[in-house]
Amino acid sequence: MTSAIPPVLKLTNVSRSFGKVKAVNNVSLTIARGEVIGLTGENGAGKSTLLKILAGIERPDEGTMEINGKPANFRSPNDAFRAGVGVVHQEQSLFTNLSVAENIALQNQDRSGLSRFGIRNWGEINRNASAVLDKIGVKLSPRARVGDLSFVDRQMVEIARAVCVEPGKDATPLIILDEPTAVLEQAEVEVLEREIRKLRRFASVIFVSHRLDEVLRICDRVVVMRHGSLTSDRSTEGVTKQDLFKAMVDDAPVAVTRARAATPAQSTPAIEARGLTVNGKFRDISFAVHPGRITALVGTNGSGRGALMRTLFGAGKPDAGTLLVNGQEVSNWSIRKAVAAGLAYVPAERKVEGMIGGYSGTRNIAMVHRQTAMVGPLLHPGRMARTAQTWFDRLDVNPNDITQPLDQFSGGNQQKVVLAKWLNSPDLRVLMLDHPLRGLDVGVSQAVNAQIREACKNGTAVVLIPDTIEEALDMADEILVLRDGQISARHDLSSGSDLAIKEIVAEMI
Amino acid sequence: MQSILSRSIKGPIGLIVSILVLIVIFSILNPRFGSIENLQNVLYQASVPLIVVVGATLVIQMGSIDLSVEGVMGASGMAWILLSPNTRHALDLGPWAWVIAIGLGLGLGLLSGLVHAKLKVPSFVVTLGTWYVGLGIAILLYGNGMLPSLTSEALARWPSRLSLGLPNSFWLAAVVILGGILASNYTGFGRGVLAVGNNETIARGGGMAVDRIKIAAFTVAGCLSGLAGILATMQLGSGSPDIGFGQLFTVIPAAVIAGTALGGGEGGVLRSILGVFLLIILNNGLVLAGVDPDFQSGVFGAILIVAIVAVAWPTRGALKVAK
Repeated sequence: MTSAIPPVLKLTNVSRSFGKVKAVNNVSLTIARGEVIGLTGENGAGKSTLLKILAGIERPDEGTMEINGKPANFRSPNDAFRAGVGVVHQEQSLFTNLSVAENIALQNQDRSGLSRFGIRNWGEINRNASAVLDKIGVKLSPRARVGDLSFVDRQMVEIARAVCVEPGKDATPLIILDEPTAVLEQAEVEVLEREIRKLRRFASVIFVSHRLDEVLRICDRVVVMRHGSLTSDRSTEGVTKQDLFKAMVDDAPVAVTRARAATPAQSTPAIEARGLTVNGKFRDISFAVHPGRITALVGTNGSGRGALMRTLFGAGKPDAGTLLVNGQEVSNWSIRKAVAAGLAYVPAERKVEGMIGGYSGTRNIAMVHRQTAMVGPLLHPGRMARTAQTWFDRLDVNPNDITQPLDQFSGGNQQKVVLAKWLNSPDLRVLMLDHPLRGLDVGVSQAVNAQIREACKNGTAVVLIPDTIEEALDMADEILVLRDGQISARHDLSSGSDLAIKEIVAEMI
Repeated sequence: MQSILSRSIKGPIGLIVSILVLIVIFSILNPRFGSIENLQNVLYQASVPLIVVVGATLVIQMGSIDLSVEGVMGASGMAWILLSPNTRHALDLGPWAWVIAIGLGLGLGLLSGLVHAKLKVPSFVVTLGTWYVGLGIAILLYGNGMLPSLTSEALARWPSRLSLGLPNSFWLAAVVILGGILASNYTGFGRGVLAVGNNETIARGGGMAVDRIKIAAFTVAGCLSGLAGILATMQLGSGSPDIGFGQLFTVIPAAVIAGTALGGGEGGVLRSILGVFLLIILNNGLVLAGVDPDFQSGVFGAILIVAIVAVAWPTRGALKVAK
């Protein structure tokens, strides 16, 4: 390690804050040539921010970064690319209407020979792509249209594009793979694993994954992040999953702020799934939520819990299984029917799906349940405003102005309005929340949780996808752990049993 | 994801087959349809929309739309005839008439592109405005004087004169088409148009000059509308602000029938050309088949709807919204 060859990456005391939150806190990390590093940690541990710093998307507040021995001060993703950092983002960023070769060439525009006097040299573009694909040992036609490829093949194109970085002579490229396996099937994961092993012949790799088995199998070294800091950095030799769990999660007991509901009597479940399946997302899911109880769905990003919730709400069609709402089996389930039956859904993508940013709080709240504001077939503006004002007061929305467009509010206050839109239901049976606390500070989080508990007390069944396991333990009466689209464990917390976070994490991965 | 069947319907083969089927049907209905003379007539009729469709395709591929075609054609057509030998006055700028008239189209296209890209106004609305600005310029140029007609016999007869058996109008269109195909397939601009149409966010993230590509596409479309205005004016032999009337209704359906998705990213110049021919042949054939003129518009529109439904069938999707 101390030879004359400089390390491919050297981070020294790098930090990055967003407001009061230290997303990356004093991180130092060195990666040698040809090393494959696994980077893991819970959601929100700071992995994404660290990657963004390496990729030139975010700039560090403090600390220094060196790539191949040269100080790196990236101002844009292009700077990072030129310095030799190639990133395969979690979300694919390929043009599906263009060929494999062209997608590779577009990332690589500076390269001479690909176009002459502004005229594209297709022969050279295809040859260049062939060479890159050969280098990483992938058999794909450069002329194939990306939209026609399977997901894993597209992933290979992403890797090929990342490998095109030009770190200069004698320098080693650094390839970052951000959760490339999250949506892959088992067989595809093996293809990808083989690919990563090939990469180490000429590059260093950072492999980000929630799946510890994979990390231990593929990587030479594994780095764990928690609350923005590195909590473990050791060779994978002799490391067990248990060791990694310990580094990933806090051991402090979770303060439970809610009295658990009792095990349900023989009441009818408000919502019940029997063998629910959506191909490629989740399969054979069975569970029931009784009025007044909170069920948390815990799992990693690719576990299928988001898709499950959307299916319950009628936003996706199940391929198999039945769904019962208030004891009645439903058919041709749709969002319209779900809303009519008293279901509510607070989506994770608040700004995209949860609200209309240009509309005022009044109009956003009147979007779904407006019975109270109707006079015959017409909307009564005064009643609409009165309803909105009631909710703004009750949820303490700040600023308390029901006429202001919602996109001018902070995220937390937006979330309160989104919640109010659904709580305004005259007969709320099931409240489903996907990451309701995402991006919210402590104060607003408590307010939102208080509303969820309040609804629960009034006999609403709650299905919750929490940000963290702590949140699940704090709020839920029952925890369902999903792994790769299946329920891997159930915990009934109302029996008073103490549950360790570590135990749940083990069931997730 | 897409079945081979749906791809072939979308692809040029389906279009070529449809065109051939139409030709066979119309030839049976009226033998005169297949005559050399009528085919030359079809090429003559098609040349103006062919020029316009090249620009329109670039814009639609980008996920935008250019509705200003008819107004720009009117402005450029009027400007050109008033600067060429005409019955109204003696001013004749020769080739400069072309430069100025096409320059007017360029300016209007540039205006659309700038407002759309820089002020982030939907192209639908911007170009609707440019349409009427163009029309306004044309009306001002027309003024209250007498109808300006071409006095140069050579100019007036140039579009219909045959070279190598094909009308000059069509040769002009062919040059534009060739340029369009080259630009679309072999330049950074043409490829950038497709990339922006597929996913603007990724294009921006990848460091592409998205705004510049957008402005360029509208500018090219404006130039081509201007050129089409000149050609249409020549064909008519006199100037009229309404010279572009009906072109929009040919060009946009032609591009869409040919598989240029209004959402952007798909289709190509060559396919759009086939779409134009499909519509022109349909129009021409209905006339020759003796369909009552009062019914022609209705029949044409109905066939158009059927064709578009057939083309869009494989790609219809839940909750898919075109901008």
